Amino acid sequence: MVAAAFSSLITMETEEAQIATGLRRRDPDVLDALIEQFQHRLLRYLAHMTGNRATAEDLFQDTWIRVLEKGHQYDGKSRFATWLMTIAHNVAIDHLRKRNPASLDEMRDAEDAAPFEPVATGPSPFEHAAAAEEKAQIQGALDELPPIFREVLVLRFQEQMKLEEIAKLVGIPLATVKTRLYRGVMALRPTLGGGAL
Amino acid sequence: MNGNEHDRAIDLLMRHDVEGIADGDARWLEMHLQECEECASFDRAMSDAAHAVRSVTVLASVALVESTRARVHVRAQQLREQQARTMLIAVSFCLGVVTSTLTAWVWWEFGGWVADRLGLPSGIVEPGVLLFWLLPAIVIAVLMVTCPPTLFEGSLMQRYMKDRLRGL
Repeated sequence: MVAAAFSSLITMETEEAQIATGLRRRDPDVLDALIEQFQHRLLRYLAHMTGNRATAEDLFQDTWIRVLEKGHQYDGKSRFATWLMTIAHNVAIDHLRKRNPASLDEMRDAEDAAPFEPVATGPSPFEHAAAAEEKAQIQGALDELPPIFREVLVLRFQEQMKLEEIAKLVGIPLATVKTRLYRGVMALRPTLGGGAL
Repeated sequence: MNGNEHDRAIDLLMRHDVEGIADGDARWLEMHLQECEECASFDRAMSDAAHAVRSVTVLASVALVESTRARVHVRAQQLREQQARTMLIAVSFCLGVVTSTLTAWVWWEFGGWVADRLGLPSGIVEPGVLLFWLLPAIVIAVLMVTCPPTLFEGSLMQRYMKDRLRGL
């Protein structure tokens, strides 16, 4: 078991080192592979950050351009996914700062009426409709959350990032991450059927 | 039950999914959740929130991925060209510095010899040699200021860079 974990660690290190080498060389094949591998995760994160799909798609492209330009700064010692999300976080913050310099707490676009695209599920039309309604309700609840909480929830539950990684990525203390996670969970609670404590 | 126990339970609940917790902590947490409705309620809220967040799926379209790749390739090409141009300028500068340094003494002696032959006063010789020494740089600078930029950025330079890039 220890050997398997060690082997997995070595494989990951080799993979990250290969990515770092490819980024330093600005190798188009490496970038193509990375775009392919992280396309959905990155777009999902940006969509949650901005609350708008069209903006998220623009920032998606800007993020990869920045990955290309700053690729030499990636040393391959940390996880590439974390580094990529940090770049995406900075791109999104820059964008939101330009749009609304007064308050980053409102990290949300004015035209955020466009919903995310839920995956169609459910074998029957009724189940399909019920599932779509539930997803729309969940999406609505997430949209209602202040972006600073939404970001932490997404990084934790979708990206499965460690609390320390989130703190580093967002640039806040660990205690603040925990507070945002707690408050985000509690803010979602009434909508998700938990009721008050 | 005190506040520290609740804090510990909340911290463990936050960590047990991703970071994992020790067996002893897991046993303590299980016992605590059986006794504490507040923390048990937070545990359920965490599970619901995780489920809710994970159920929202955003998929990148093929068109978005393709256009991103195209933009990245174009930018990569621009960066490579920029790098080649910077390299060319750096090499030219270094060559200029080296040749100027190496030939300075020769030109100085040559200037002295010419002044001696022509019987020029020494006050003219020093600025004259300096001017002659800097003449190539001055000519290039004047050309760059007065001529259209395409003369330098166009045909010759670009052809050179394309050849270089093809070789890379």
